[in-house]
Amino acid sequence: MSDALYSKPRIVARVAPPLNVRLWRLLGVALALAFLAYLPFVLAHRSAFGFRLTNAELLNLGLSQINLMMIAMLGALSLNYLTGCAGLISIGHAAFYATGAMTAAIVGTQWGWPFPLALAAAAVTGALVGIIAGLPSLRVRGLYFVLSTLAVHHVVIFVFLEYQFRYFDVVGVPYDPPRLGSYALNTSMRWYFFLLPVVALVYWGFKNSLGTREGRAMRAMRDHELAATAAGVDVRVLRLKAFAFSSAIASMAGALQAYFMSNVTSEAFGLDFAIQFIAMIIIGGLGSLGGSLVGAAIWLLAPSIISGLAPQGGDASGWMGTLLVEHKPQLVQAAFGVLIILLLIFAPGGVAGLGRKLKAMLSPQRAR
Amino acid sequence: MLAQVVFSGLALGSIYGLVALGFAVVFKATEVFNFAQGMLAVCGAYFAATAISIFGWPFPLAIAFMAVAAIALGVAIHVLLIQPLAGRSMLAVIMVTIALSIVLRAVIEMIYGPQGRTLVTPLPNGVITLGSLRISELHLTAALVSWACMAIFAAFFRFTSVGLLMRATADSHEAAVVSGVNVNTMNRLAWGIGSLLAAIGGLFLGQLQIVSTDLESIGLLALPAVVIGGLQSIPGAVVGGLLVGLIEQVSASYISPKSTDIVIYTLLLLILLVRPWGLFGQRELGRV
Amino acid sequence: MEPALAIEGLSASYGRKGLALDDVSLVVPKGGIVALLGANGAGKTTLIRAATGLLGLHGGQTTKGAIRIAGEAVQHLPAHRRVRLGMAQVPEGRLVFKKLSVEDNLLVGAAVLPRAQRNESLESVYALFPRLKERREQVAGWLSGGEQQMVALGRALIGRPRLLLVDELSLGLAPIIVRQIYEQLRKVGDTLGASMLVVEQNARLALEFASFAYVLESGRVTVSGPASEVASSEAMRASYLGSESA
Repeated sequence: MSDALYSKPRIVARVAPPLNVRLWRLLGVALALAFLAYLPFVLAHRSAFGFRLTNAELLNLGLSQINLMMIAMLGALSLNYLTGCAGLISIGHAAFYATGAMTAAIVGTQWGWPFPLALAAAAVTGALVGIIAGLPSLRVRGLYFVLSTLAVHHVVIFVFLEYQFRYFDVVGVPYDPPRLGSYALNTSMRWYFFLLPVVALVYWGFKNSLGTREGRAMRAMRDHELAATAAGVDVRVLRLKAFAFSSAIASMAGALQAYFMSNVTSEAFGLDFAIQFIAMIIIGGLGSLGGSLVGAAIWLLAPSIISGLAPQGGDASGWMGTLLVEHKPQLVQAAFGVLIILLLIFAPGGVAGLGRKLKAMLSPQRAR
Repeated sequence: MLAQVVFSGLALGSIYGLVALGFAVVFKATEVFNFAQGMLAVCGAYFAATAISIFGWPFPLAIAFMAVAAIALGVAIHVLLIQPLAGRSMLAVIMVTIALSIVLRAVIEMIYGPQGRTLVTPLPNGVITLGSLRISELHLTAALVSWACMAIFAAFFRFTSVGLLMRATADSHEAAVVSGVNVNTMNRLAWGIGSLLAAIGGLFLGQLQIVSTDLESIGLLALPAVVIGGLQSIPGAVVGGLLVGLIEQVSASYISPKSTDIVIYTLLLLILLVRPWGLFGQRELGRV
Repeated sequence: MEPALAIEGLSASYGRKGLALDDVSLVVPKGGIVALLGANGAGKTTLIRAATGLLGLHGGQTTKGAIRIAGEAVQHLPAHRRVRLGMAQVPEGRLVFKKLSVEDNLLVGAAVLPRAQRNESLESVYALFPRLKERREQVAGWLSGGEQQMVALGRALIGRPRLLLVDELSLGLAPIIVRQIYEQLRKVGDTLGASMLVVEQNARLALEFASFAYVLESGRVTVSGPASEVASSEAMRASYLGSESA
């Protein structure tokens, strides 16, 4: 990985893959797009190609869960960019969500700005708060820095709490129904088709950033800070930039979530919320953007799928039944906690790591 | 009034100091920042509650049970979770302790239900009046017991052979291996002790309030306590605990009950920016 | 009579890098003093680490071969078990417990003894190194290099080892101090009947002290034999005795 830093850039002639491979790829992309476009209709109407689908066949999923998942993907992508790619471990990610929600409340609910402007404002504030949150990294490193993100988290949440109780009440901060111009986002379907390109754009944005020289420098900084500095990389500026980009997106996601739920309270942004994102990127694989998407999907959708698969109420008897019925959320939590621990010990690369291993196994002749 | 607040702050601070001490022992020995320490305090409270209310055992036996269970839990955590992650990145270790606290919390809620339980103990619950001061006997007992425990452990580390070996291991892992110390055993011992100290703290916190998983956030105050006092310093952990207890009570009384977290964490942030090695720690180049 | 230490065909490496030790065989006879010589990076410290069980700590592993202490195969034993078999080491860089007092440092080494014998052993170490007794309460991190070397040596000797491995005793020390320490080592060896393996860059000094010597070059034994022979061999004279500092 640090080869990029020491060797001269090689000029590689981009050879186009053979025509049939390109055709297959095109077909794959077309199929994926078709699937993504048809999915919301399937979920909303509970039928595919005219056939009614049961809850089990739909994996107990609804369109609003898919939408929430997509918003979470934004959070996972931004955190992985910060932690997995830039090497800045942060447990304060919920603070940026809160920043976005609060900004959206101020400019949207209180000042009456339209939805898209509120999102933009959220991103800008998020970037600013992110830079401030990143400042301690100029002074301390490693564990101490993680602790500073914890402290930042508490400070921001407190500010949100005060804001909530000053201008609103214990019920929460309300948001106007979002509209893009005259097009109201008032159904799950509309949200879906709005969020899909947003996620795609953000993914593409991060991926592009990682491909630039700065992006590579960032990863060099993560792997070996001393070497990167010696090679002329200004690590301090780079760190703050990474924070700005990451928290801008996270903040925007926070605003999106606020509008989606149309009401938020400060409890939504507790530490366990931030921890969820860490869990997502561990599952998906640190440093892998695609992995972030997978991790978010698993974390958001698996609980519903599992409870759909588990026997309903009266089926199971005795303590098993009590476990599954009364304590389902705790069971899911415990299971996920154990999953994270097992992943950390046995499969540290997450899903992305497993995917890489699979790829290596299937194409052994590919030279390293 | 001020003296009252100071007293309860110091009393609570002694309990935090105890939990923070357990935290510091673990950190010095294995360099693991144990985010689950708050949850270990909760486990201690539940062990005690189980022995007293469910098994119906007399108090001394219940305490013994709690101690044994807590030590076993600490050792198990080291063997199952920490040892396999030796040499891995800090994020992995932090995440494992966070995941552990999630699992512990979920398991406790599954077994005991989410409502709190009252801890019925023969600990004194009255109030002593000294002039215009009203001193809670429970606070006093908690403080005295916490200090006694800290003194016992200080003596253990200073005067016993095993304590010496643990100090040596914390000083230099490699030098300890070179000298023939069974470092794995020392680390497990450290975790057992850390868990035990947290459990005792949890017992008092559970008595002062109610035994429920919400105690975790109180136990977690040990984290800023240790950092403010100095991550590498054992006496620093204790002083940090006292400080946090004081600040908590003072800000709760004079500002607002909700302000305690923000005050403590702002202080934490300041310390990290100005003097990250804490009040009593020593600046170590290249560490952490 | 079983040799105190026998290394048979040992190969070792660090990670995926090349072999740090390549099929090395070495014997320390009972009661004997063996010098292990070689330039920087020849593999001397790797050998010591493999023998003492610290290789894993530094990211290395043995790939083949056997290590025997007094006839017992130990390559699968963890380090602390080997110490209980009577092996002690004075590592490169001394590795004293910087925040502990001199006496505490020594007592850590005494932990392998039954409680009744510890004090007696402590006194004999103090008799050997009176300077340490003077400084018994001082924090080890503040001592001079020579004094720290004594602490490390004392910590190794207090457990009454049958086999002592010394890695780079002379590093960073004035020659006169080094000479004194070697003298005391010889005395101790005679008293305890301990066998020693001494790694030294200062070849001349080591060859005066030892009865047998091995020379390592790029992980292989190139020269071995009685110390006097090795000292006078052409190869040694050329590469070492010519350029070493008095």
